Amino acid sequence: MNYVVRRGATAIATLFAVASLIFLLLHLVPGDPAEILLSSGGIAPSKESVEALRVNLGLDKPLLEQYITYLGNITTGNLGTSFQDGAPIGDEIVKRLPRTLELILAATFISVLVGMPAGVAAALRRGGVIDGLCSSLASFGLSVPVFVTGTLLILLFSQILRLVPAGGYVGFADNPAQHIVYLLLPAVSIAVGLIPVVFRMVRTSILEFLEKEWVRTARAKGLDEPRVLLLHVVRNSLSPVVTVLGLHMGTLLGGTVLVEYVFNWPGLSGMLVQAVEQRDYPAVQGIVLVICLLFVLINLGVDLLYGMLDPRVRYK
Amino acid sequence: MLRNVTLVFAIGFLAAMVALAVFAPLLPLPDPVKMDVISRMAGPSWAHPFGQDEYGRDIFSRIIHGARASLAVSLTAAALAGAAGVIVGLVGGYFQGWIELATMRPLDVILSFPPMLLALLAVALLGPGALTLTVILSILFIPAYARVTYGEVLVVRNHEYVEAARALGHRPLRILARTILPNVAGPVLVQFSLVVASCIVLESGLSFLGLGVVPPTPSWGLMIRGARAYMHLDPMGIVWPCMALVFTVFSVNRLCDHLRDVFDPKARRVSFSPASAIDEDDGARGREAAAGSATDDMLLDIRNLTTEIAVPRGSIRAVDGVSLKVRRGEAVALVGESGSGKSMTGLAIMKLLPRRISRIARGSIDYVTADRQRHDLATVPLNRFRAYRGKEIGMVFQEPMACLNPVYTIGYQLVEAVTAHARLPKQETWARALKALKQVGIPDPERRLHEYPHQLSGGMRQRVAIAIALCGKPSLLIADEPTTALDVTVQAQILDLLEQIREASRIGLIFITHNLGVVAEIADRVVVMYCGQVVEEGTAEEIFYTPRHPYTRGLLASVPKVEDKTGGNKRLSSIPGAVPSPLALPPGCRFAPRCAHATDLCNAGVPALEPVSDSQAARCVRWRELA
Repeated sequence: MNYVVRRGATAIATLFAVASLIFLLLHLVPGDPAEILLSSGGIAPSKESVEALRVNLGLDKPLLEQYITYLGNITTGNLGTSFQDGAPIGDEIVKRLPRTLELILAATFISVLVGMPAGVAAALRRGGVIDGLCSSLASFGLSVPVFVTGTLLILLFSQILRLVPAGGYVGFADNPAQHIVYLLLPAVSIAVGLIPVVFRMVRTSILEFLEKEWVRTARAKGLDEPRVLLLHVVRNSLSPVVTVLGLHMGTLLGGTVLVEYVFNWPGLSGMLVQAVEQRDYPAVQGIVLVICLLFVLINLGVDLLYGMLDPRVRYK
Repeated sequence: MLRNVTLVFAIGFLAAMVALAVFAPLLPLPDPVKMDVISRMAGPSWAHPFGQDEYGRDIFSRIIHGARASLAVSLTAAALAGAAGVIVGLVGGYFQGWIELATMRPLDVILSFPPMLLALLAVALLGPGALTLTVILSILFIPAYARVTYGEVLVVRNHEYVEAARALGHRPLRILARTILPNVAGPVLVQFSLVVASCIVLESGLSFLGLGVVPPTPSWGLMIRGARAYMHLDPMGIVWPCMALVFTVFSVNRLCDHLRDVFDPKARRVSFSPASAIDEDDGARGREAAAGSATDDMLLDIRNLTTEIAVPRGSIRAVDGVSLKVRRGEAVALVGESGSGKSMTGLAIMKLLPRRISRIARGSIDYVTADRQRHDLATVPLNRFRAYRGKEIGMVFQEPMACLNPVYTIGYQLVEAVTAHARLPKQETWARALKALKQVGIPDPERRLHEYPHQLSGGMRQRVAIAIALCGKPSLLIADEPTTALDVTVQAQILDLLEQIREASRIGLIFITHNLGVVAEIADRVVVMYCGQVVEEGTAEEIFYTPRHPYTRGLLASVPKVEDKTGGNKRLSSIPGAVPSPLALPPGCRFAPRCAHATDLCNAGVPALEPVSDSQAARCVRWRELA
């Protein structure tokens, strides 16, 4: 319980720091932010439009007041309105967030599903054919940027083999089967980069744990070998896997930005890219804030899961 | 083999890529931005080896010029971030207190952003472009370097030579530059290659989104973005830039792995080739249970046991022709320095020798079950050997901190030992676990059942380990240095406990130790081992009062004696020299090079283990003269 509270407090502090940094960023940029935002291709914006933007962003008020208003708005869930159409940003985010989450969950699920058994198999037959093959594939998988994976998957499965659509989205409630079909390629694209991470971690920790004295104790008890491996080696490797997944959440979230773009997946990131293109600063700010919130929450979840898996963390 | 091939490929590919990129303007390449709409998406030709893109531009030339853009941005950003990060890390690590806090803390905020998002946020604010990209990437990767440098500095900071430089009155700046910087150079270089790879990926990703490098400048990300719309017409147009990108990132990563191996030899993987591995059980002998029945109270009868371990330079006989007898209720101490083969003997009995690299090469391990049947454990295949482990023979290991699995409760681990051999109702198994804990004298056992190993002291954990070993009611207990890692007072308690258990259940005990003081308290008989051989054995009295082998005498002389009042100023002697390498054993008596009494005779062949009395034997050609 104590552990949960402490981790929660850290998460809130991090969120506060992130929110402050996002706020500061706009003001740290040399020059007038309103003018910078409106200028494009070296054409100076009109005085009136700059002034209008200043009022819209609240830039005409003292810095401290702006900051307090900003923090107040965030805590009440008010993320402002879009430059583009004046719609509340929060509403759009709420609609899109679950789709991004779904993508992340699916990718993580696939990665663990493939990476764990591969890692165990490679470690148990260290130096063997499976080990060599998986390890080489892993270092290759780590070298393929996620948008390249996505693009090549589309090329292969939808253009050449014509098995699945190149991208798009159908709500799960509308057509569950089609929904899964659309989810498949984007999730696999992200997983291709994540499977090697899981694989390597599992392989290393299994090799390490196989040498542990408690494994010898377990064998000395007379436990059969599958049980020794499953309960005293693989079970222990879960905590490092969770840790490494947590460490890669940042890359994973960045990956969704590209993957959602490649596959026209209408999640948060697609909205983000569009907002950046249109230089819709309030929208960008809101989405980044929410994704950071997500990032911090996922990390919190990872830490709590870690505590569940390893009693030493819980009781420290 | 494969690793070398990939390394050569990586270096070659990178060298070619960098050279082509640097000299691109001098090479006779077509203009990468010149359009030729008539031959759009044309296939490969002599003029255009990779074909032409959706605007008829030459793909090969665009890839080379794309490398220019990508490498320029990535290398510059990685170098700038490196310079800034190393300075931040050096300063943060060298100075303690508020400077450390002020330099390292803000980095955590950068790290709490997914890098892609921070980049997008900045692009939204500043607009896309190569310059923006370089600046953002440099800031993004400062923490990567700073953390590595910081960590290294913390390690180096208190080293003697840094202390010495400080004591000599050198100024901090000079110390940082002269003594610490060279030490962090390796890890920072590794980090540099990692960051370059990340930068290439981020740059191409942002360009792919149309938010990085601005057209018409060629960039791999932009090329993939452009070719995407036409991939059904011209698949190769998209494959070429993808390949350029993937191979570049792969090569940088591979180079990074190599750098890491070079700068951090500890992380280098040492593994035996599978060909040198020996099967643990060849099952060819099949003498199990054929050894007949025993008449006396013999429990374990090891004859001529030899184990082999495969090492990179050959094979080692860690145990070389050891014979050992244990009767029911008898405590036999197996004594020797590290490397004497005493632990390997214990592990061999339990078939717990390190897998795949070691095996029992010769000899028999006859174990006598309660029905007086002899079973040669050496020939029992592993799948059936499980029935002996825990049930007939229990084992306790040296390191109580590590011998219990940290993620399970004490109760769970005890229950496991019970259920491994008996199918019982759940209540019954827990009752047995509780009884086992009570038996080893753990206070408040009901509560301890639900605790985790890390909540117990070392002595308590060793008691739990003993309880686990006793759960299956074995007739033989092998204790491998069970008290070495413990405090002296706790040691005595554990010895008392083992003694009690042995008397209560007439269990046979093999006590493996390097500490003769401990032996005196517990053993009926003592077997002294040196370099894999038994050099002397006898009753505890014989070994302590009439030792025959010079090695045994040396061991005895190196035990501090509290009661030896008269010898207050006598110096504690130690045996000169070191244990020889198992790969280069002396030809004759293995102790001869360290023995004060060695003669030519000693080197003329391995001495036999000669009987000294009914119960004592020594492996020394001169024991009669020296007696």
